[in-house]
Amino acid sequence: MNARTQLFELSMEGRQVDEAVASIFHTVLFHRSLGKFKYKQEGSYSVGTVGYQDVDCDFIDLTYVCCSSVYLDQTLKREISGFSEALRSTDSPGSGQISLEFFQRKKSRWPFQPECIPWEVWTVRLELIKLATEHERQICREKVGDLLTEKILYITEVMNRHDYVPKVPSQAELDLIFDTSYPDIQPYLFKMSFTTSSPSTTTMGNTMKKLIRETLSI
Amino acid sequence: MSTQLSMQDKKDLEKFTKYLALRAAQIIVQSRSGQKVNTMCKPDSSAGDWFNLAIKELPEVSADAKRALCGEIVSSSVPLCIEISLKTVEGDKMVLETWSLGVLPEQSDPTVRVTYTVYNRMGILLKSLLSVSRTAPAYKLSRRQGPDSYTMCYRIYMGDPQLHNLGDNYKHMRVGQLCTPVGTIHLSVSYRTKMTISPTHKGRDSIMLKSDHFHSDLSPRHARYQQSEETSKSLSDTIKVGAFVINKPVIVNEEDLVIPDVPFSSLLTPKQTSPPPGLLMNPTNTKTATAGATTDSNNGNNERLNNDNTTSKCASQNGSRRSSCSMTSANDDFIMVDLKTPFAVTNTNSDVGAFYRDCQSAPQLQAFMEERTLAEQLGDLTKQLETFETNMQHYEDMLSSLCQTENNN
Repeated sequence: MNARTQLFELSMEGRQVDEAVASIFHTVLFHRSLGKFKYKQEGSYSVGTVGYQDVDCDFIDLTYVCCSSVYLDQTLKREISGFSEALRSTDSPGSGQISLEFFQRKKSRWPFQPECIPWEVWTVRLELIKLATEHERQICREKVGDLLTEKILYITEVMNRHDYVPKVPSQAELDLIFDTSYPDIQPYLFKMSFTTSSPSTTTMGNTMKKLIRETLSI
Repeated sequence: MSTQLSMQDKKDLEKFTKYLALRAAQIIVQSRSGQKVNTMCKPDSSAGDWFNLAIKELPEVSADAKRALCGEIVSSSVPLCIEISLKTVEGDKMVLETWSLGVLPEQSDPTVRVTYTVYNRMGILLKSLLSVSRTAPAYKLSRRQGPDSYTMCYRIYMGDPQLHNLGDNYKHMRVGQLCTPVGTIHLSVSYRTKMTISPTHKGRDSIMLKSDHFHSDLSPRHARYQQSEETSKSLSDTIKVGAFVINKPVIVNEEDLVIPDVPFSSLLTPKQTSPPPGLLMNPTNTKTATAGATTDSNNGNNERLNNDNTTSKCASQNGSRRSSCSMTSANDDFIMVDLKTPFAVTNTNSDVGAFYRDCQSAPQLQAFMEERTLAEQLGDLTKQLETFETNMQHYEDMLSSLCQTENNN
């Protein structure tokens, strides 16, 4: 099965990275999280309630809504700040991408690990820019806010297409579909990963340097 | 289609749709309250928590929405509208946006499960509404509202959305839709893009606020640079005319420029308009007065020409007690003033000023002093070559001695 993929490409200042990625991923996860399931007896369960909160961005003109789950926020923050640090470090090429991947597990025979099958992937590709004046920063702050607004609208459009999502399984197989580790909410199983890469227009010199570096590192 | 739908499903669907409308109204109105919303996640949902979403309930909004719904939204051919408007302290009102939730009976999906699928999709639609409501322009305005500026108002009604209140070029944004066995439920918003308010109350004076304080083009620094650019255009432009001076161009006769033998004689003839003595010391002023046309000229040659005229005139009156000015043309910004006091003894021989003038510019090369013919110059060359040849031995000795000293080192 092919996973649905969505790609957002943005360019912004280094300090806007965390908030920009968080606003996109939190909006996706808000739609992809259910209330906590509570089983009474086999085949009968109750679903908890998802709370939400407004988040004002400091470096972007934007307010977004996310699940009011401290633990989910921690998970996201940890991964996003790892990406942000790598992207903003001195030896970074100034661009990179981070992905939020929803997957389901498929049981396999012992001793193999259960197979992970992705069904939806959201990727944010970022390019860092440097601004000289406060006036430029103000413009960028508004511009990135407008761009993220577009992305949020696109996310809601995708969510209301009602495309494939895994079916709610029986109690025994619940953690093949959902992440049951959170005490307050129950998102679909997801993982995040990031890479920082050189800009697509690599020069011959850079390519050679990279080749040499890679050869030496082996 | 409706025959396929069981009575229970139909009842459920009506109930779900009603609660969807009520919760949507709550979300919209609360999003324009100016407050940040924060509700807690609850592992155990209570009876009031519809669609597994912790939406706060404002009783007033619920009552208004219920009154407007007045029955079933599903059976209604018109949508439920929630209108958000802005009201200023002056009493001016402007409609910002109109949200509408309706059912299109043309598109329906009889196979969809009411209790599970429709209910969950309604939950997703409300989540989308929460996300979208924060992105509309009215959200930012609502966060800035206050009792001394403006406040947000809402109106809930059944009927076609009144979009003419939104001004020209209003925009439409779709939040989402979902198929049910009786039709497609759709939720959308139309919002104003022109934010100019036309005051209805005249005669009220409000302070005009200018928000260009930090505009770079208007900063004092920028203005200063501009000013200095202007100054450099013409020096004469900077000469300020006194506040009560009759703005009349001063006409100067050539004779007036020549200082008469008797000092301050002009003072003795009050009727005659003569330039002040300081005039001669100001080259630009002289220029404007005599040449007139060269006022705006910044050309150094012109200036020099003028100055030469002045000095030559002064020179013709040599020997008389006078104040003369001499401008060195080599360096325009340096003005050497040779002051001769009217009652001092004339001493032309030990003229420090003259000495200074002589030394200031390099003397002319003698080579250019006397014109020589080509034949003379050529003869010079052969003579020179001859001397070089005779001294050849001497040059070689010097070269070898240099080589030797190098070796010694």
